[in-house]
Amino acid sequence: MRFLTKLALAAAGLTLTLGTASAQTTVRWLHLEQNPAQVKIWEEVVRRFEARNAGVKVEMQFLENEAYKAKLPTVLQSRDRPHILYSWAGGVLKAQIEAGVLEDITTGVGDYKNKLSAGAVEAFTINGKLYGLPYNVSQVGFMYNKDLFAKAAIDASAIKSWDDLLAAVKTLKAAGITPIAVGGQDKWPLHFYWTHLAVRLGGKPAFEAALKGQNGGFEGETFLKAGELMKQLVDLEPFQTGFLGFKNQQALGYFGDGKAAMNLAISHHSATQRALAADKKGITEDKLGWIDFPMPAGGKGKPSDTLGGVNGWIITKGAPKEAVEFVKFFISDEVQRDLAKQNFIIPTFKGAEAALSAAFMQNVARNIAASQYHQNFYDQDLGPSVGRVVNDATAEIAGGSMTPKQAAKAIQDAFKQGN
Amino acid sequence: MSQHSAAAVIRGRPAAPGARRRATTDGQLGALLLFLPPALLLFTLFVVLPIGEAAWYSGFNWNGFGSPTRWIGFDNYRFVFDTRGFGIAFRNNLLIIAVSLVVQLPLALTLALLLADKFRGSVALRMLFFLPYVLAEVATGLIFSFIYDGNYGLLASVYRMFGAEAPHLLASPQTSMLAILIVVVWKYFGFHMMLFIAALQGMDRNLVEAARIDGASRWQVLRHVVIPLLYPTIRLSVFFAVVGSLQLFDLVMPLTRGGPADSSNTMVSFLYNNGVSRMRVGYGSAIGVILFLICVTFAITYKRWFMRDE
Amino acid sequence: MSEAAIPARRPLDPVLVYKILFLGMVALFVAVPLLATLLGGFKTLGELRTNPFGLPQTWEWENYTGILFSGRYWQMLWNSLVIASFTVLLTLIVASMAAFAFAHIRFFGSSMLLSYLTMGLLFPAATAILPLFIKVRDLGLLDSYFGVILPQVAFGLAMSILLLRRFFKDLPHELLEAALVDGCSYFAFFRHVTLPLSRPILATVGTITFVHSWNSYLLPLVMLNSERLYPWPLGIMIYQGEFSSEWHLILAFITLTLLPTVLLFILAQKHIVAGLTAGAVKG
Repeated sequence: MRFLTKLALAAAGLTLTLGTASAQTTVRWLHLEQNPAQVKIWEEVVRRFEARNAGVKVEMQFLENEAYKAKLPTVLQSRDRPHILYSWAGGVLKAQIEAGVLEDITTGVGDYKNKLSAGAVEAFTINGKLYGLPYNVSQVGFMYNKDLFAKAAIDASAIKSWDDLLAAVKTLKAAGITPIAVGGQDKWPLHFYWTHLAVRLGGKPAFEAALKGQNGGFEGETFLKAGELMKQLVDLEPFQTGFLGFKNQQALGYFGDGKAAMNLAISHHSATQRALAADKKGITEDKLGWIDFPMPAGGKGKPSDTLGGVNGWIITKGAPKEAVEFVKFFISDEVQRDLAKQNFIIPTFKGAEAALSAAFMQNVARNIAASQYHQNFYDQDLGPSVGRVVNDATAEIAGGSMTPKQAAKAIQDAFKQGN
Repeated sequence: MSQHSAAAVIRGRPAAPGARRRATTDGQLGALLLFLPPALLLFTLFVVLPIGEAAWYSGFNWNGFGSPTRWIGFDNYRFVFDTRGFGIAFRNNLLIIAVSLVVQLPLALTLALLLADKFRGSVALRMLFFLPYVLAEVATGLIFSFIYDGNYGLLASVYRMFGAEAPHLLASPQTSMLAILIVVVWKYFGFHMMLFIAALQGMDRNLVEAARIDGASRWQVLRHVVIPLLYPTIRLSVFFAVVGSLQLFDLVMPLTRGGPADSSNTMVSFLYNNGVSRMRVGYGSAIGVILFLICVTFAITYKRWFMRDE
Repeated sequence: MSEAAIPARRPLDPVLVYKILFLGMVALFVAVPLLATLLGGFKTLGELRTNPFGLPQTWEWENYTGILFSGRYWQMLWNSLVIASFTVLLTLIVASMAAFAFAHIRFFGSSMLLSYLTMGLLFPAATAILPLFIKVRDLGLLDSYFGVILPQVAFGLAMSILLLRRFFKDLPHELLEAALVDGCSYFAFFRHVTLPLSRPILATVGTITFVHSWNSYLLPLVMLNSERLYPWPLGIMIYQGEFSSEWHLILAFITLTLLPTVLLFILAQKHIVAGLTAGAVKG
């Protein structure tokens, strides 16, 4: 019996030491930022916040993007979940709200939200209540390596249509250059092709109709065509050897090392590719160009429509009010300008975009500002289950194991099954 | 204290037979109430109930929050069987079993026959071959994801030496499973070899000697004496190969996460990728129930048909 | 069979040559990946490509020291140690008590209860992982050591009880009867006679349990969320996610995390081999 008692005591002691927090308030913040240069700024923000708010400690925790997505559903169910989480808004956010794990921060934020871009705040507003604050917006498009384009004698500004892109891919291949680097193992970099083609082909009306189950839903003409056009590209074998085994970070590093001419990227990857390149410099500002996603023949979408993300911070249920304060501080004019100055983000704080120093990001900021229809990433927008199936199915198109028709059917099936 | 000396001590002290019955029944109930509940409680709570609950949850469309309310009957099972990836995962499990039987078992048996006798280096080799079994699957998977890496890996270097372009084994749906099978053999053959060595060492040497004296060749002795004597161990080895295949997960995650295009999922990694990481409790539970039924059917059938003598 | 048997054969026995060749090939197959990992940790990323098999041109000790001086490496090993130790301790206590009851006390339903418990041998924890997750969550054990330890113990019980019961049964029954007559309680007998006599089997069960827990990945992956609690198989995956292509660092990290296992294996190889195989055979 003594043995058991000892064990019980030891166990109790262990849980106690783990459970007791210090007297002060700790805000636990889970982020996905991998770029050390950017994390350094964030740590500085934390220090400043802690200096101004005695008794508050902000604990930063990092998870790599894919690990985070796989872990998030279980993280949210834990009582000890972090207070501040990364979010891409969209259907995933809605599912989290329905599950009742997020805090309504409408009053906590108050008028502060008026200082941020209205469109971005809208993404975190569900049924009139605010659940998070955006700090970055982004656009999907082709980053390209100007040197490699010059070597293959391609004029990037002339790539307007899907066929132009296909032609450029052929030219690059003929010149012995890998046309596109893609992180196929993570799947979502591949879903950009299918999604953006759908945005171009059908515009906003097609997506909304699909959500209502009209015109054949995601099996309808627009989405079938998107798959077929994607297949045209895939059939040219435009990607680096072994692309299905590359994580996005590895693909960005590959692009950053100058081994591929293009990468269909999220705009802020222009900074990430530098951090992930072997020499930590990557493709420098003057060598890095941007191509808006090309328009396929007969596309009904507007050329100004954009695919992109709205990234923000959501607050989990039961978080201390300091968590909201910290997020507000994090998305203050000063911090936003700091981050924008180094071109890490397109800021959401009104006016902070003036601090963007690179032509590359200034151009993207203009695109987003001019966009009438900014489509969120499908894998986030369609909710946790359907979104993942979109990723699966588009990766299968790229791998040749599904036809566009089968892929569209798989997505529509998942959509009908719901979450 | 060794077993034998303890037994000697014990035999020296016979108990008075008359007092025996009363003393043993006294306190029996108390002892039972003390000894059994912890095991029963833990087992029921964390093993039996979850299996039962899996059957229950599998009837719902549920994301784990609140309590399950959207009853959809057997739809989840239909969804599972409709998913192309599940069929592939099942096939992959069968592949692993096949490779265990066709490649791993003969390899392990041959090595056991070569290493069962002591000679210089035999013990060291045994230990070397057994070492992979002790290493964590996750670490093994990472080591081989380095070996197979198309840019920095050993395999790529070998190809480059011959001036060929390196294959990305893990990145192609056609080769990903092959790559995993090689790792499976690397990791587990040593364990099976040890099973055989243990059996060989416990074998009655006189039978072998007698056969040799009767003029049987080495091959005949092996074929007609040694291998038949090893049948029980072979059956055991097969049993472990199948059970191991049915729960293979840790090795797959660092290598391919089941991809590309679901080509290298096992049933458990399929369950993790589609059930756990998407928190589709109903769907994932349905996979769990299917897996459970396969395991139990196999275990019972195998016990009944092949292990009757033990 | 004897040491001299093989060298005593004719010097150029072709069978012997084939045997040596075959063993050598298998040895290479096993050893090369391990050595490449160890040595790769001493190279630069570039050298991994240019000099895959040789010794490092310059030994990059920083790869290793950088990790050894980082808190996360030690934190991970500590977490694994805590989880594995508690799992072993609880398994030994709970399983040996139950095994004692099944071995020495005759009671109604004994065999039924035993087959109930041995059902655990039939299927892996993965089959019920989602309901298990919900259960651990509802008990408030998510993201705690015990959220991993208790399910691990529960799933290890079946095998442990069977092994222990068989051993306990072989201990002479007369001793127990004599002790009971002398007024010794079951528990005192269990504690002072059975357990001390059963050290070999306790060591076997302990070894099996420890190795499984030390290497386990799925349960911690599902139950733990904070990096400060991650055991090393989880930690190493996170590390790999973070340093995706910097293989020299990842290889150094793998080497260091495997070091305790390999050292332990070299020191206690006989016990570990005997434990793991005996456990398998007798289970």
